[in-house]
Amino acid sequence: MLDNVIKNYTEAVYDTDRVRAMQVVDDALKQGVSPEDIVFKVVIPGLDLMVQSLSEGFDTNLAQHFMTSQIAAEITEKMLILFATPPEILGTVIIGTAEGDLHTLGKRIVIGCLKAQMIEVWDIGVNVTAERFVDEAVAHEAQVIGVSAMMVHTARGENGAIKVRQLLDERGLNDKIKLVVGGAPFRYDPELYKTVKADAWAENGVSAASVIMDCIREVKK
Amino acid sequence: MTTSMDRLVAAINGEVIDHIPVFCNLLDQGAKEMGLSIEEYFSNGEHVAEAQLKMLKKFGHDNVWSLFYVGKEAELFGCNKIRFAKDGPPNVEDFVIKSYDDIEKLKVPDDISTHPAFAETAKCLEVLKREVGGKVPICAYLTGSMSLPAILMGMENWIELLMIGPHDVRDQLLEKCSDFFRKEIEAYRKAGADVLVYSNPYGSTDIIPMKMFDELSFKWMKRDLEPGGLNGVVYYVGGARLNSVAEKVIEEIGIGVFYPSPLEDISDSMQLIDNRALCAGVINDIKLIDWTPEEVRSEVKRIVQSGLSVGHKFFFGTVVMPYGIPEENIKTMIDAAKEYGRLDVMDI
Repeated sequence: MLDNVIKNYTEAVYDTDRVRAMQVVDDALKQGVSPEDIVFKVVIPGLDLMVQSLSEGFDTNLAQHFMTSQIAAEITEKMLILFATPPEILGTVIIGTAEGDLHTLGKRIVIGCLKAQMIEVWDIGVNVTAERFVDEAVAHEAQVIGVSAMMVHTARGENGAIKVRQLLDERGLNDKIKLVVGGAPFRYDPELYKTVKADAWAENGVSAASVIMDCIREVKK
Repeated sequence: MTTSMDRLVAAINGEVIDHIPVFCNLLDQGAKEMGLSIEEYFSNGEHVAEAQLKMLKKFGHDNVWSLFYVGKEAELFGCNKIRFAKDGPPNVEDFVIKSYDDIEKLKVPDDISTHPAFAETAKCLEVLKREVGGKVPICAYLTGSMSLPAILMGMENWIELLMIGPHDVRDQLLEKCSDFFRKEIEAYRKAGADVLVYSNPYGSTDIIPMKMFDELSFKWMKRDLEPGGLNGVVYYVGGARLNSVAEKVIEEIGIGVFYPSPLEDISDSMQLIDNRALCAGVINDIKLIDWTPEEVRSEVKRIVQSGLSVGHKFFFGTVVMPYGIPEENIKTMIDAAKEYGRLDVMDI
């Protein structure tokens, strides 16, 4: 039965059909699938499938990424209330847009995907200074700082990810906190993350969650 | 003497006079040219026109721009807070649509050409028309109705409304944006712009699913462009890919110029378009910041020769042209596009 649920849920998400995805989950609950299985055996594998499709060059689009993230986050939030015991939080992430950057969509997609994977996310908003990124990461004992930048000057600028790295260097935090970047300029120049001294980058919001998970695992090793 | 306009007209007809048209989107660079901050520079249409003419002389490309920054369109709807950077494009800081109620209240200007927020653009166009009109293509940037909401309410809120919001609210906004577009294109044509870049990222299947393109985006594109006609209209989807929709846009709308993504293979685009429209070979200009001049020449050669190997309805173009690109690389790129864009140097 679970195979069918996964199949129907994934198809609905790919079709950006939120109502159908919700219906699949409701029906599954009625048929006795546990909230835990909905999250860990349907929603998270659905995200993994999307990431796998992307890595295999399957054409997806921004609307699909947005809907994948929103549906996953919404269902997870509903299911968490029904869990027999609270799930283990796997890690903590600080996320925001670089100083001077006001674009929020990419960040929202990443946040939705992370929340569905039991990652605690602190969204510190737009136009965030490098100092604040680092201070918040220290305050919340985050393993990852995610800097989103949609414009070339905010992606490469001296007050963006480059400065976050400089502060991590100065405070001796490089082993404790990884720096992940994302946004259009990084997609057009896949080597740019090295120029800004980030540890990793992601081509889109859905893949970003997976990249961030890897970084969390690395810090916790 | 061959003018830039002659080159463009020849390319539209599948001919190359001396070299293919070389378009370069130099916008923020004008501030540097004038020795002004980006904010000061964009406050005056005469500054923008003067810088466009200076850069035309300095770099020798084939177009000038009347675009200041994309947020100008939001200003026509009442946005009064633009965030200026020292080293990049200005951005809308205060969205005119903050809630769905604001969509009901959103007012499309009656006449854009006399709107105070269009005054500096009109001044710029007046100078450009006077100085190079008819000789150098004058470009204007107009956002299609499916994409304009992104600068009125933010990309996040627009995609949310588009994907999960109430359809009546979405359609009301689209209708207002389409009404705006119709007036805007008329204003730009009247003011002397002759290359009208129809910017529509939400008309790319990188952004929305094909089903939504077919059922929604396409319908609004037709409505946007219907009254004014297609003369001078360029299909551009903000650097996203357009090959998947090109067939339908050519056959069912009839746009005559396509501006693909630098991430698309130019030969694929040219083959798809198959001589039915003019097509740009677009360089990934973000990389111009770091490339050596030799790397720039090599990439320009690859793009231009790939395009010309398929057909002659072809020109060279750039996308965002970040402020940080060294002048040497801009010059190298334009010179190389002119050099490799001659039919007598084709080594194929």
